[in-house]
Amino acid sequence: MAIANALVPARDTRALLIKWIVGLLVPIAVFTFIWSGEAIINNALLGLLGLLGVSEISILIQVAIFILIFYATVIALAGYLVAADSGLRGTIELWIDIAVFVLVPLFLVLSQGLIIGLALCAIIWVVYFFARRRVYKALNYTPPTPLLNLKVLDAEQRVEVKNRAIMGSFWFSAALAAVWLIVDLIFYAVGQLPTTLLVWVAIRTLILPVAGYFLGMLAGAVALRRTVAAKNGGNGGNSADGGGGPASRQSQLQVLSTTRFREEAKDLVPNDLPLRSSGAQRFYLILLVAFVLFYPVIDPFLFGFGTNGRLAGYGDAGYYVILALGLNIVVGFAGLLDLGYVAFFAIGAYTWGIFGSTQLTNVLNLAPINPHLLSALFWPMLIVAALVAALFGVLLGAPTLRLRGDYLAIVTLGFGEIVPIVFLELDAYTNGTNGIVGVHSPSFFGIDWSVVTPVPYYYLILALIAFTIFTNVRLRDSRLGRAWIAIREDEIAAASSGVNLVTTKLYAFGTGAFFSGIAGAFHTAKLGGVSPDSFSFGDSVIFLAMVVIGGIGSIPGVIVGALVVYSINQFLLAQLDTIAADPSSVLFAIKNFIITHGIQGFTFGNIRNLVFGVILVVIMIYRPEGLIPSARRRRELRHTEDEGVELGALDVVPGAPGFESEVRVE
Amino acid sequence: MNLTLLIQELVIGLTTGLIYALIALGYTMVYGIIELINFAHGDIFMIGTFICISIFGAFGITNSSSAPTGFNLVGVLVVTLLGSMVLCAVLGVVIERVAYRPLRNAPRLAPLISAIGVSLILEDIGKLWKGITIVPFPQIFPQNTYYIGPVSFSSVDILVFVVAIVLMVALQWMVTSTRIGRAMRAVAQDREAAALMGVNVNRIIAITFLIGAGLAGAAALIWGLKYGNTNFTLGFTLGLFAFTAAVLGGIGNLVGAMLGGVLIGVVEALATLIPDSTNGGFGLPHGGAPWHVAIIFIVLILILVFRPSGLLGQQTPEKV
Amino acid sequence: MGVEQAVEQTNEPMLKLAKVSKHFGGLAAVQDLDIEVLPKEIISIIGPNGAGKTTVFNLITGIYRPSSGDIQLAGQSLSGLSPDRVLKRGIARTFQNIRLFNNMTVLENVLVGQHTQLKARILGSVFRPPRVVNEEVEARRRAIELLSFFGSELIERQEEYVINLSYAFRRRVEIARALAAKPKLLLLDEPTAGMNEAETLDAVKYVRRLRDELHLTILLIEHKLAVTMGMSDRIYVLDYGRKIAEGLPEEVRRNEKVIAAYLGTPTKRGQESQEEQEGVE
Repeated sequence: MAIANALVPARDTRALLIKWIVGLLVPIAVFTFIWSGEAIINNALLGLLGLLGVSEISILIQVAIFILIFYATVIALAGYLVAADSGLRGTIELWIDIAVFVLVPLFLVLSQGLIIGLALCAIIWVVYFFARRRVYKALNYTPPTPLLNLKVLDAEQRVEVKNRAIMGSFWFSAALAAVWLIVDLIFYAVGQLPTTLLVWVAIRTLILPVAGYFLGMLAGAVALRRTVAAKNGGNGGNSADGGGGPASRQSQLQVLSTTRFREEAKDLVPNDLPLRSSGAQRFYLILLVAFVLFYPVIDPFLFGFGTNGRLAGYGDAGYYVILALGLNIVVGFAGLLDLGYVAFFAIGAYTWGIFGSTQLTNVLNLAPINPHLLSALFWPMLIVAALVAALFGVLLGAPTLRLRGDYLAIVTLGFGEIVPIVFLELDAYTNGTNGIVGVHSPSFFGIDWSVVTPVPYYYLILALIAFTIFTNVRLRDSRLGRAWIAIREDEIAAASSGVNLVTTKLYAFGTGAFFSGIAGAFHTAKLGGVSPDSFSFGDSVIFLAMVVIGGIGSIPGVIVGALVVYSINQFLLAQLDTIAADPSSVLFAIKNFIITHGIQGFTFGNIRNLVFGVILVVIMIYRPEGLIPSARRRRELRHTEDEGVELGALDVVPGAPGFESEVRVE
Repeated sequence: MNLTLLIQELVIGLTTGLIYALIALGYTMVYGIIELINFAHGDIFMIGTFICISIFGAFGITNSSSAPTGFNLVGVLVVTLLGSMVLCAVLGVVIERVAYRPLRNAPRLAPLISAIGVSLILEDIGKLWKGITIVPFPQIFPQNTYYIGPVSFSSVDILVFVVAIVLMVALQWMVTSTRIGRAMRAVAQDREAAALMGVNVNRIIAITFLIGAGLAGAAALIWGLKYGNTNFTLGFTLGLFAFTAAVLGGIGNLVGAMLGGVLIGVVEALATLIPDSTNGGFGLPHGGAPWHVAIIFIVLILILVFRPSGLLGQQTPEKV
Repeated sequence: MGVEQAVEQTNEPMLKLAKVSKHFGGLAAVQDLDIEVLPKEIISIIGPNGAGKTTVFNLITGIYRPSSGDIQLAGQSLSGLSPDRVLKRGIARTFQNIRLFNNMTVLENVLVGQHTQLKARILGSVFRPPRVVNEEVEARRRAIELLSFFGSELIERQEEYVINLSYAFRRRVEIARALAAKPKLLLLDEPTAGMNEAETLDAVKYVRRLRDELHLTILLIEHKLAVTMGMSDRIYVLDYGRKIAEGLPEEVRRNEKVIAAYLGTPTKRGQESQEEQEGVE
């Protein structure tokens, strides 16, 4: 049968299958059996069957959806990886990579919690990079360049790719079903598994391989979109429409320089590093989005008690992300060093603070507005706060327009200092040092938004972040975004190409401030109040650090930078102190040592700025393009090996011997 | 407003301004030579104050009452002054070597961020060293008050005056009349040409940092003697004021920095005279004093907008 | 009615500099300069180093403001306009040291050149209504078309970052970027600088084609006298900021002041040795 043919692997494919199935199965098994993936499913099922008395059906359904998406994506990913792999990179190499980049984080997050776990991972990964490079050098091993493996695939090979995908998904899901069955039988034998769920076990064991087959077809389709077809979709030069079909793009790539080619080649099928290709990234994105969207319902399963606390923390981290993205527009895209970004954050925060509480009506001597109306007005006021901040962005940016980079920095720093002072001292309007309290929570169709329920805020910040990312990406790839980058690169050339420096820079300030206004209003709403202590130059530095550490101008980089900086700022060091309180830990000993040897005031939390300072200096010296650099930045700050700008013969001065004889012009 | 009050504030402003001027010199020299705003410079000053306290401690002086007198006093002061200047100078050179030199050819943003990083590091070192509360500084110089008419000043003010003026004159002489000074000016104008003329650019830049930081060390001692306290955040605030002064006078211009420092000191002092408007009338809410940081920054912004090269500075147009 | 037609009808010069001077402090970079460029001419400005040629370009394009005098494009004064406004009026330029946006691709550089031709504003950029999408597609098509003026090599390299290109290619991208703004007058500052013989001939060809095929008026600064002589309709010669000669290439070539400016006045010894040599023959 055709199906059977499609499923029996050829010899070389067998090796690939083993490579990827083992590689992926181990982390999935860890997730399922050790990290309560199974517990999630079983509890959800029991709940749905009415056996656990869990009343929240909607939660269970959400959990079920998440699980479905999760396993379906992983199975499809398996198929894609098998299809996309050219087979040149070793299996062991891959397994080590997976161990380091997937298993280690899993275990660390499991044992230490999300933030600390990821932070430790970061350290381990950095060490691993250096170590691996040393090992490669010692072994005189250079990984093969993807360049060599770029082949044009004929029709037969394309079918083969599709079949490999199907086989990959099918056998992966079969293996998964088998392993799961065995483990469940063991659980049952030990009495851990309720009998009622045996039906589920049986169903699952049968469904998985079937699902695998169809998911494999999907994966195959994804893989095929990334192959270089024998028939070109048009001459590389003429398909000028942005994003012409994948085929014409590939043919364009074939004449590009080696650097660019090397970068793009990792996105094509087949290649050596399918784990890092853009096709695989689509699957990661799905996993990430599902995880983030359904996080509030699965968090209790993953991390136990304290969901609310964690969610509240993530809500805070969220507004850092928005701030980083906003600052990225000013510093990253337009190249204007803004050291006073906290000013706009404060403006946004106070705008909602004043309006959303009794402060405004007190000042204007009016009767207080109906609280319900006020709460509903949060949504338009969110935009208003952002626009007010944007307006000030323009106003405060205006004086800086003719200044050179460092002066611009100092002036923006000045505004960053002046604005909080204004809010502090104008206490007739802003209630001064006491800040404003009693800001009403937003309302939205009957959902409870009080300060103690973080879930609505979590989704709100997710929505705001999604909006911010969407806007930033659109802006970056637009006429305005190009103008910003042009200004950053060379102001005079930009002006001579028609870019109005004044309006473009003001747009940068205004747009950047817009987002910080959103973050400010959100912050006030979540906190239920606002006070001038929250805004200082130190905060501006933190925001700048987020952008710099993450990667100036790079949208994913800046997001990661924000999360990293937030974790260090809020969690890491505080957690280190908590751990150090336990006399049995190493940290306790270290802390004691330092205290008794002269530095009495030492706590891990106290050295926060020291840590940041060191990180900033180290990053500037060794990796100025940041953690996840934008493609442009990599080129700017490192020498590319291909750089060879040829200069013609030196100009010959008129009158020198041989001058006129060299060039004859008719 | 009272004329006496006004003149009194001017005197206060002058004294503080001279200290700002000393710190401003460090900023202006470094910016003149490598076009970097050395964010960490103010914090070197702060560390300098802590160094002075420690040196006093080594002499057994822990508060103002255990002050020595006579020759002992002079000796202690000289040792502390030299110690502070030398140690700060070393700190300045080390910072340049570690955090700025590797970034000599990096795009403009990089050394600036590195400077911010160093500033953070120094501030936390200060925090760890002496804690977060205000640290008392033994005011061992006799605080005799003198009067000219109704206006008073103290003997410490005279000390500030003398030390600051002497150092500034010495610096001005060095820059204009010595070989090293010429080399510094050459590197500031055109680094490559200076190198081609045989100037060791790295060494000259290090010397610039050394001198600037040394001056900050001196400023640290006289600040402490006059105001009697310090804190790990002092460097940041004073640093900004001093940088404003440097810009006001024209960045890269030594005399400008001195002038600018005095002007900023005076502005700060006069700001406290602004009346409180909370109960009506002209002025600012809570009076001028809490606003003085904002006022100084507004001064800075106005200068930069209307006269970007400062009072004495020169425009360097970009070569197109 | 466009600038071109207006100018052709009235026979007014496309570009006119009237008694233009520029002082930097005490230094007179340009003094009392009169220049006229008629439509579709190729005019060269030549002169020894430091004669003020690039300053003239900077004055025309608004980077500097004239200390005195007026600059007019098709009868309309350009004084006080910023560079982007000058571009909108119809003057585009290239730079002596090639000022491309190094961290953008070839295509992106040319797209920036089209900044004034595109109409998308901030909301349009974010929400991308069909009008904006079409505009972007058309912009890309036009950019490729501009690159095609130089043959197919730049088109093939359109996704290349310009920092990786050879000097000659970078020159062309810069010109393409200037053309993207649909100028009437193109200012080329030493377009053949740094090029060898073959590349120079190539450049001369495409400069001619810019005038012939794209109907541009061209003002160029050029150091290589042979290039200038062969390509220009008229030549202006500057020295120390002043015009010392003007006219057809053959006239300028024989002008004593020009020769003196470039070579210096002949010394007595030089004159004698010259006479000796002539005597021998």
